[in-house]
Amino acid sequence: MRISIEKVAKEFETRNGKVLALDETSIDIQSGEFACFVGPSGCGKTTLLNLIAGLEAPSRGQIKRNGEVISGPGIDRVVIFQEAALFPWLNVIQNVEFGLVGRMGAQKRREIARTFLNLVHLGRFEKSYVHELSGGMKSRVAIARALALNPSVLLMDEPFAALDAQTRDILHEEIQEIWAKSKQTIIFVTHNVREAVRLGGRVFVFTARPGRIKKEFRVQLARPRDINSEDVLSYAQEIQKELREEIEKFLKEEVDRGWTLKKTDFLRPAGIDLGSGI
Amino acid sequence: MAGFQDFSFLIGMKVSLVRIVVGYLISLVLGLTLGLLIGRFRILEETVGSLMTGLQVLPSICWLPLAILWFGLSENAIQFVVVMGAFLSIAIATDGGVRNISPIYLHAAKTMGVRGISLYTRVILPAALPSVVTGMKLGWSFAWRSLMAGELLFVSVGVGHLLQMGRELNDMAQVIAVMILIMAMGLLFDQLIFARLEKRIRRKWGALSNGAVKT
Repeated sequence: MRISIEKVAKEFETRNGKVLALDETSIDIQSGEFACFVGPSGCGKTTLLNLIAGLEAPSRGQIKRNGEVISGPGIDRVVIFQEAALFPWLNVIQNVEFGLVGRMGAQKRREIARTFLNLVHLGRFEKSYVHELSGGMKSRVAIARALALNPSVLLMDEPFAALDAQTRDILHEEIQEIWAKSKQTIIFVTHNVREAVRLGGRVFVFTARPGRIKKEFRVQLARPRDINSEDVLSYAQEIQKELREEIEKFLKEEVDRGWTLKKTDFLRPAGIDLGSGI
Repeated sequence: MAGFQDFSFLIGMKVSLVRIVVGYLISLVLGLTLGLLIGRFRILEETVGSLMTGLQVLPSICWLPLAILWFGLSENAIQFVVVMGAFLSIAIATDGGVRNISPIYLHAAKTMGVRGISLYTRVILPAALPSVVTGMKLGWSFAWRSLMAGELLFVSVGVGHLLQMGRELNDMAQVIAVMILIMAMGLLFDQLIFARLEKRIRRKWGALSNGAVKT
């Protein structure tokens, strides 16, 4: 499914007046693309994801799927949230079945849920309750729950942010594998630049509030990618440089105005190769 | 005990039980509906919300004079008192439970195509269940107290009336026996219904259960 974001802006009412979270954002995401949004916290990337999901409506502009304006949530666009958002009153298999209830018979439902639970390698845990799972297992269940609905677009909102690095690494591999097979459109929000480079076909860097697209990177690397490969790192450094200016801007609003980022040696410009690739 | 031999205890227990079960069921329906509505709609919260808290401060037995004026010396009057005692605490707990639901559950459910009534039955109610059960338990004990107070004041058959009769006949043994009986009945229900419910919730949700739990 193709997602066209056309001059979208989003304002929020707060106690201190209106806050412009997102402004003049236009992106065209092709069917089957893996797009990543990175930006400092509060840059509106999650807001944009919610707008695409239809959980909120844009203040200006519009978002279209295959040329049709999005007016509300639908099962063609399923979101995977940061905290997995599994329902603690249901066990694992019931969570995976959740979106299928009322769409098909119980038998068929269970069959589909089992298929996807096996896909994320949690077939043994179908009777467990959510509080018995580790963070990585919760992410897996959330992925299975979303995939069970066979959405054309998968919206992922920092799904692996709370996980430890090893678990995250494995889940990256698996999500790449799943995507390579299913060719669903995936929009992935993260603040982890390397994660974005590893997974994304295109990486969009957002500015600090109000969020705009600062720069778009096309990651032309073969898949599957390794998070520690030189190529991923050099892309990541380039993106990190863009991002750092924005983080500085953002932090200046949060802390004292006079504060500046210290220049650090390890963040050298990407163009300078100090022989690291030998 | 003489009370069991001449069936006066059994008759009293039966009458009280019917009263409390009917009154409690009415309170449950009223309380859950009101709590869900107030929790979901801001305008109701701002209007009815504080009134509810105010009314809950009022001991439910204070409704008895009004109930007698409205319904006469009838079953309805005593049932009314029971309902007034129980349903507010159920409503307040439900309201709190609904309000504490992490919005992420609602978002997740909506993106999976759940809306309307099934959003209530499949997400909002189960998510609020831990605090609803606490409210139900509280409501039960309030209902039980209101019923006893009502029966003591308002002469009719029932366990509370047996207690009153014991006093009038200067029969200490009966008074104590009925007190133990009241305690036992309350305990029985607590163990049979609420303890089981709470245990089930704990098993599903993990150790802590108060609606605000996040995954």
